[in-house]
Amino acid sequence: MQNGVVITGFGCLTASGADATATWEAVLSGESGIREAATWDSSGWPWPLAGEIKDYSPRDLVSDRKLLKFITRQDVIGLNAVTQAVTHSGIIEHRDELADPTSFNDRTGVFVGSPATKHRYQHDFLSPLADSAGDSREFGVRAMEDVHPMWLLRTLPNNVLAYVGIQYGFKGANANITAHGVSGSQAIAEACRYLRDGAIDQAIVVGYDSASELEALPYYASVGLLSSRGLRPFDRSRDGTGVGEGAGALVLETQDAAERRGAKIYGGVLGSSVVAEAAGVLSVREGGEGVSRAIRLALEDSEMRPDDIGMISAHANGSRVSDAGEAQAFTEIFGASSIPVTGFKWSLAHTIAASGAIESILALLCLANGRVPGIANLEELSPECRGVSVSASEQKPRSSVGLVVSRAFAGLNSCIVLSSHV
Amino acid sequence: MTEPRTVAVTGVGMVTPLGNDVESTWNAILSGESGVREIAGFDATGFPTRIAAEVKDLRAEETIEDRKSLKYITPFSLFALAAAEEAVRDAGVRPTSATAERWGLVSGSGMMTTEFDFLQRFQREFAVDGQIDLVRLGAEGARFISSPEFARHQAVAGQALLHKRYDIRGYSANLHTACASGGQALGLAMRVVRSGQADFVLAGGYDTMINPIGLAGFCLLGAISADNDRPSSASRPFDLTRNGFVLGEGAGFMVLEDWQRARERGAKIYAELAGEGNSLSSYRITDSPPSGDGPIQAIRGALADAGETFDSIDYLNAHGTSTPMNDLSETNAIKAVFGDRAYDLAVSSTKSQMGHLIAAAGAVEGIICALAIQHSTAPMTANLGTPDEACDLDYVSEGCRPMQIDAALSNSFGFGGSNSCLVFRSPQRAEDRGR
Repeated sequence: MQNGVVITGFGCLTASGADATATWEAVLSGESGIREAATWDSSGWPWPLAGEIKDYSPRDLVSDRKLLKFITRQDVIGLNAVTQAVTHSGIIEHRDELADPTSFNDRTGVFVGSPATKHRYQHDFLSPLADSAGDSREFGVRAMEDVHPMWLLRTLPNNVLAYVGIQYGFKGANANITAHGVSGSQAIAEACRYLRDGAIDQAIVVGYDSASELEALPYYASVGLLSSRGLRPFDRSRDGTGVGEGAGALVLETQDAAERRGAKIYGGVLGSSVVAEAAGVLSVREGGEGVSRAIRLALEDSEMRPDDIGMISAHANGSRVSDAGEAQAFTEIFGASSIPVTGFKWSLAHTIAASGAIESILALLCLANGRVPGIANLEELSPECRGVSVSASEQKPRSSVGLVVSRAFAGLNSCIVLSSHV
Repeated sequence: MTEPRTVAVTGVGMVTPLGNDVESTWNAILSGESGVREIAGFDATGFPTRIAAEVKDLRAEETIEDRKSLKYITPFSLFALAAAEEAVRDAGVRPTSATAERWGLVSGSGMMTTEFDFLQRFQREFAVDGQIDLVRLGAEGARFISSPEFARHQAVAGQALLHKRYDIRGYSANLHTACASGGQALGLAMRVVRSGQADFVLAGGYDTMINPIGLAGFCLLGAISADNDRPSSASRPFDLTRNGFVLGEGAGFMVLEDWQRARERGAKIYAELAGEGNSLSSYRITDSPPSGDGPIQAIRGALADAGETFDSIDYLNAHGTSTPMNDLSETNAIKAVFGDRAYDLAVSSTKSQMGHLIAAAGAVEGIICALAIQHSTAPMTANLGTPDEACDLDYVSEGCRPMQIDAALSNSFGFGGSNSCLVFRSPQRAEDRGR
């Protein structure tokens, strides 16, 4: 595999588990991390469900306590996943032994799937707004008195990118993707681009989000996207998604770099794709046309045939239109073959900008362990999803190659093809 | 593997504080105008800084023909649509049903998505005394927001509108690395065309932070100039008395395409987008170190990627924000890369006239490099009246300079430490190299 990209470390933090192993085991045993939101009093809310990080303690998640003053909850979650992945990979120990760590740092990139901005950041301005009662001059005066001087820096959408760099001293190529539900997958895809182009030798990739913020629940509900009963992918009774918090991080290296340092290789990223449906801000096209094209392009990019794929991690967000479209795309491309299909959002919730990264890690674990967890709350397969090998119980992957599908607002679709065997 | 393609710039469009299209912006650059005024968009008199470089008189109804889209428009996506339309018209090519999947979109977009009006309404409805009433938000929140409002607040709103308007169905990326966003977007787009992932990419950046929240954020940080009494000279990059940047707003978009195809269809080619350097300073959130570490790797990376050397560059469009630290760090980075040659290089910051367009800056300044090549003219650094000993390069402070430009660099460095450097080559030089 010339210019191949391998995975040498990973880590995640989700509603279902504090690391990759805990998350994997929760999914395998059919546990869901989705509960009534507890970071604020959600009692009486018509749409209270959220996939929140349990026992959230920033001091335990980020070792640099001074840093906590300059970052927000979602940044803490993202940085924790990065620390897990970097530790897992052993690249810092490797760098410590190098005669020329400067060149190593210059050739280490950072690629991030970021949730961009949040409604709750603006809440710091509610007091000055209330106190100025519509007088804009007065608002300016009050805002200068009341709001923290570091407000802007705390809310930067590229904070995780910046602090991964500062924490580890990495100085290579970087990107901060703010593309809703495909951000995590696309961070992997763009890291692979720069690795294949020879601009860097290794990259830290992370997708993070705290999608279940206070205002998100009523607003997602307002456009009919949220379920009040739980996220039930591919089920006849599915009626919407559920949003949550989480982060997934990977260390990617060129195969050369990984082999040169004798790294343990957990798998490889074989190819990727990103395509747009041009359907508008919130809509997805019926029939899964965008998913089909994304799958075909990812197969082409990885030089794989449909038959080579051993399992699929579907977007499976519980939306009526999206799940049906995905199912249609799967049957169209993979025919009546029984490629095991699963999804993880029923357990972790939809972590939007983090989902592609987290689900790629879980797909890698499926392939490595030869186990495809079921969608535990699937009761009756929707007639619109017929022909797809999705099950409440466990299945076995047919090969060591997996396909991960992510979808997003703006009609975006992204696929990652990865393998546990390099 | 197939040979990487050469990437042509065949269409440009922009909306800036100096003009609502390419021609008026370029003419304003030549005549030395400043786009900085007292803020007119809202009452800013309560803030320490009351000046900014605003876009003037751009009307949504005149820019957007599709009435339905108007509901989804925010000020920054309006800038994006206007600049993109100019670029697509200028390129003389647009997606058709046969080519839609071979068109891509790469944009750098800003961080402000919630509109101030919405926040005010939210406060009156759910936070009368400044504290959020959770019971009320739970009960009424879903009825409070409209579907177009929800859509407008998404970071991908502008990206979605551009896809829909032009029926672009191929590759897509939306990036945000603060002030480096636009430069990084052009760099990524170049790689997408180079590798054959798309034949055409609409690429650029758009932003505004000139609203009460954005202005408050920068004022609190002390990053912007408060020279309220002399707006036109408030942005004075590389000047000894510089005291912060001036907020600007706007958008810049380019059509990038495979050189060969562009030649075959007889397209007008402004320049080749020939190389990208992309690095991280990993120093402080707001600054690169005085040594120029970080920017140095970006500039070197761009030169290497383009196959150019330090003595082949004629003009450098600087990030040049007019903050004490940036201008020093950037000057030292240029010296580190160019050595003694640094003093022969024409370096200028167009932010001296149009302010800092944040996520749009790199895209607009990339276009300015292409125009500088086309018109054989290096833009000036305005307002540089008091030289700084530590910033002693040739900043073209006397006025725009007629000169042959065959290779130009564009620097963009962001809060958070992301750095982008792009190389643009004249069509003649690109053709000569290809032989």
